[in-house]
Amino acid sequence: MVQLKKLAFKQKTKLMLLIVLALISGAAIIGQAYFFAAIVDRIFLQKQSFADIFQLLLGLFIVLLAKTASHYFSGLTGIKIASKVKKDLRQSLLNKFSSNPLQVSLQGKTGQKASVLLDAVDEIDSYFSIYIPKAVQTSIIPLLILFVVFASHPFTGLIMVITAPFIPIFMIIIGYKTKKKSEEQMEKMTALSGHFLDTLQGLTTLKLFNRAKQQKEAIRKSSHGFRDATMEVLKIAFTSSFMLEFISMLSMGLIALDVAIRLIIFQNISFFTAFFMLILAPEFYNALKDLGSAFHAGRGSMGAARKIEEELNAIGKPVKWGKAVLPKGEGPPTIRIEEAGFRYEGDRFALKNINAEIRPFEQVAIVGKSGAGKSTLLHVIAGLVPLTEGEIYVNGIRRSDLNEKSWFNEISYISQNPYLFSGTIAENIALGGKLDATKEEIEQAAEKAGILKLVQSLENGFDTPIGEGGRGISGGEKQRIALARAFLKKTSIILFDEPTTGLDLQTEQILQDSIKELAQSSTVITVAHRLHTIINADKILFLENGELIASGTHKELLESVEAYRKMTTLQQGGMAK
Amino acid sequence: MKDLLFITKLTLTEKKDLFLSILFGFITGIATVSLFASSGYLISKAALTPPIYTLTVFIACIKLLGFISAGSRYGERYFSHRATFNILSRLRVSFFEKLEPLVPAIFLKYRSGDLLSRIVGDVETLQNFFLRVFYPPIVSTLIFLWTIFFTSFFSFYIALVLCIGLIFTTVLIPAYFAFRLKKVERHVRQSRGNLSTEVTEFFYGFRDLKIYQQLEHKQEKLIQRSDAYLKEQEREAIHNLFSQSVNTFVSLIISWVILLLGVYFVAGGQLDGIFLAMLVMISLTVFEHAAPMAAFPSYLEDSRQAAARLSDATRQDPSVKTSDEKEMKELPGQQAPSIVMENVTFQLFSEILKNVSITFPAGSKTAIVGPSGSGKSTLLALLLKIYQNHQGVIRINGIPIDQLDEESLWKNANVILQDNHFFYGTVRDNLMIARDTVLDEDLEDVLKKVKLDYLSLADPLLERGGNLSGGEKQRLAIARVLLKKAPLWILDEPTSFLDALTEQSIYHHLFEAAKNDTVILVSHRLAGLENMDQIIVMDEGAVVEAGTYKELMNKKGYFYQMKQIEQSVFTAN
Repeated sequence: MVQLKKLAFKQKTKLMLLIVLALISGAAIIGQAYFFAAIVDRIFLQKQSFADIFQLLLGLFIVLLAKTASHYFSGLTGIKIASKVKKDLRQSLLNKFSSNPLQVSLQGKTGQKASVLLDAVDEIDSYFSIYIPKAVQTSIIPLLILFVVFASHPFTGLIMVITAPFIPIFMIIIGYKTKKKSEEQMEKMTALSGHFLDTLQGLTTLKLFNRAKQQKEAIRKSSHGFRDATMEVLKIAFTSSFMLEFISMLSMGLIALDVAIRLIIFQNISFFTAFFMLILAPEFYNALKDLGSAFHAGRGSMGAARKIEEELNAIGKPVKWGKAVLPKGEGPPTIRIEEAGFRYEGDRFALKNINAEIRPFEQVAIVGKSGAGKSTLLHVIAGLVPLTEGEIYVNGIRRSDLNEKSWFNEISYISQNPYLFSGTIAENIALGGKLDATKEEIEQAAEKAGILKLVQSLENGFDTPIGEGGRGISGGEKQRIALARAFLKKTSIILFDEPTTGLDLQTEQILQDSIKELAQSSTVITVAHRLHTIINADKILFLENGELIASGTHKELLESVEAYRKMTTLQQGGMAK
Repeated sequence: MKDLLFITKLTLTEKKDLFLSILFGFITGIATVSLFASSGYLISKAALTPPIYTLTVFIACIKLLGFISAGSRYGERYFSHRATFNILSRLRVSFFEKLEPLVPAIFLKYRSGDLLSRIVGDVETLQNFFLRVFYPPIVSTLIFLWTIFFTSFFSFYIALVLCIGLIFTTVLIPAYFAFRLKKVERHVRQSRGNLSTEVTEFFYGFRDLKIYQQLEHKQEKLIQRSDAYLKEQEREAIHNLFSQSVNTFVSLIISWVILLLGVYFVAGGQLDGIFLAMLVMISLTVFEHAAPMAAFPSYLEDSRQAAARLSDATRQDPSVKTSDEKEMKELPGQQAPSIVMENVTFQLFSEILKNVSITFPAGSKTAIVGPSGSGKSTLLALLLKIYQNHQGVIRINGIPIDQLDEESLWKNANVILQDNHFFYGTVRDNLMIARDTVLDEDLEDVLKKVKLDYLSLADPLLERGGNLSGGEKQRLAIARVLLKKAPLWILDEPTSFLDALTEQSIYHHLFEAAKNDTVILVSHRLAGLENMDQIIVMDEGAVVEAGTYKELMNKKGYFYQMKQIEQSVFTAN
């Protein structure tokens, strides 16, 4: 809640507006009671005529209008506050996510983060649109009423002051005492509520094992269990509201009793004052009870707020960039990696003491067991992940001094699972670069990547929509589109994450041929899984547990490194040359 | 609106709790109104200095009514919530019953993950139907009617005004705003969908976006969509706020008019002034009970949409035949079936089969291989009658598949799919769905066979087997199928997460158990297929090669090349 409150306080003008509106509301409530009491008093006791009190009626009308208007504008302000907060939060979260380099590798957590950006931000709405306006109102209106009550009939004020604190105190006590019980029940509730979805998701399995019909009873049973657990929690809530209602009823009864006695027995109070108190008292207690329900609305946002806070506080060192520009068209740069290392938060390191030099046009293969750090090294070389130790020099310039755009202009990355965006095939290929890529350039790139025929066979050709909601694309086709991207962009450095399982034969062949062709004009750095890649590599970087154990050609490593020999000969029946 | 007919009928089945909640709601309302009415009257009476006993009556009245009001509100809440949960339970069972015959065919129309969580979400939304849509108008109207009746003893015109007020705040205003809300909500949903797409692409395409320097552009687009979504949400919230304010204002004005009339009548002598205060209090309090009607439009719209989506999802698709027809034949049990596919062609979105003809003789072991997207899983789905409406003929034991009862087919098949589901429960629970007459020893025995003997039968499994790794889930699925003992084995990549050694050992157990059965195995890996009776190679939905291992290797065609590539891949785990 702490963070949320701070966010609310940032919008000072709107908060001021809320306070002013609350004052108007309070005044309107008091005015309403005043006019009602005054009119009845004059007509009933003072036997005035209709014409006499007409002005009062008008006054009452205006007050009622003011009351509704201030309530409306107060709600409106709350909505606007919520909108601004949500807008700012999404921006901050997005900035945080973009600058967090680990985004690239944390593919597992993606769903969670997307949900925070989308849903959690939505869920905090009620804190600002409902709770904050109500909180302002319930701080001001009861005080205002109290003030006026004291001015008219102090004894009623006294009763109010004594009984009022019982309401929040009671709420806190009950909340505190039942916290443990409600947490227990909440756990049960969550478990049982997930059961329905679980059963639905497993319906295919159930049918295949002929158990579907039996599940009906199970659902009924678990729903009843859910009901019982929830009712336990609700009973507590209901009992507490019963007590609160009872307290306010009792208090109002006391007030009524007091004025009645004074009217009947002591006769030291006017009808007007008595009626005035009688109308105001419920408003006072209602305002206090309102805070309780608004509090619950605010509570609902706490979970979401926590998630958002977690994401915003996540530590992530962004990759540093500078201003130096790499000259274009001079071929691939020399890349020197010096004592490079990368470690996650905490002690775990993924890369340590990497030293290597990659000369222009060199074909480099990164090899190692799974978990050895191959992908991390590729990400580091790509500039997607920052170094925690060491440096990378590009043509002698520290890469952290290079201009980011200038560097990425030189990089193409072909991953195992290329991502296609919703858009046309042409747009997906043209991601490769300059948004002014001509149709011919795109077609050329498609041909080199071996998908020109396929695309031309489609009804809409290059304008066929793919991605979310578009035509489904097979794994092989995806790879070829990624290749087309690389051909279009014509970069001097190609980074390639070789697939571990076989694609269709055609794509396999195209991949091999394409990499060969791209290698003629670029440095190619591959995370290798195929024999032919490492056999043909100019330099192999052999990683083990994040460290560079050896580097050299395939022949050299076969002779000198036993772990390497073991790894490359241990295949399904194959033999290393 | 007719979508809500179903939920209304369901609601009415909870007669007892329904009646009790309405009764208590009514009593609460009456008690509260009476409480304030009597305090108004008694104060007026007190002003005319009456005898002392008025005071005692006063105190007694107020205490009693206060207590009744608070107490019956508890009852109202208790019974209305209990009714809600009972209705929720019935809803779940009812939708389960509706959904059950439609699965798995229904996953053709929707992606299963989306559909199911949406169904669950919509069912949850409908639980608000009783409490926020069905109940408030009834109670509100009852309280009003009683109040109008009571008021009519004092002044006909005031009762009339109250009646008009009832109609406005309970019927006209909510209906009007409910109607307008429909359009607003549509925009909200659309803009949310747009934002959701951008968010997904931002996260899943992050690396590519960064490499191709499109990240900032994507960010901007995301923020744009977010702003559009926020604007629509604002519009919706303001709409609801406005409708509430209008409702409140109208009720206040009605009270004002009542006061006006009351004053007029008292001044003109038609009404005794002592009742003026009471009438004012009545009108002020009775409209507080109309307050839930202010939120009515948005709840109505939510429920209506949820109901519409649910009935849409569970509507019987006439193109999908279910086994209602009586001519459905059954497979004789315990007999290894033969399967024949003749010129089978099928297309659904990106799943394609082109002119596939294969014979699976009874008791034969067939492997189907090919790259992803080649149609292997589609073929299995057709054999299991999960997909229907294909061209060409599929015959199982000579019976055309569209005349075959699905349940009989599944009863006789051991199936492992690419996504195997496990339920929240113990290992034992999950295994016993294969055969509930099985003893613990048999369960432990089969766990040993799949090298899962480190799991105990009482170990808990989370939803979707969330606490198991991919490899463990696969092995458990194999264990489950080993228990079932059916004569047809349909296995879709059953060992894709397992290393070569474990795979070998499991294949050994599998083929031993399936000695006399018909086996169809889809595999991504080409190892261990030397002893299969036939290997079918598929690419792009068609059969490219077929034959024994020896034949295909000698042919030096597609299979041979695939094998070469596989051998050049060194997987080092």
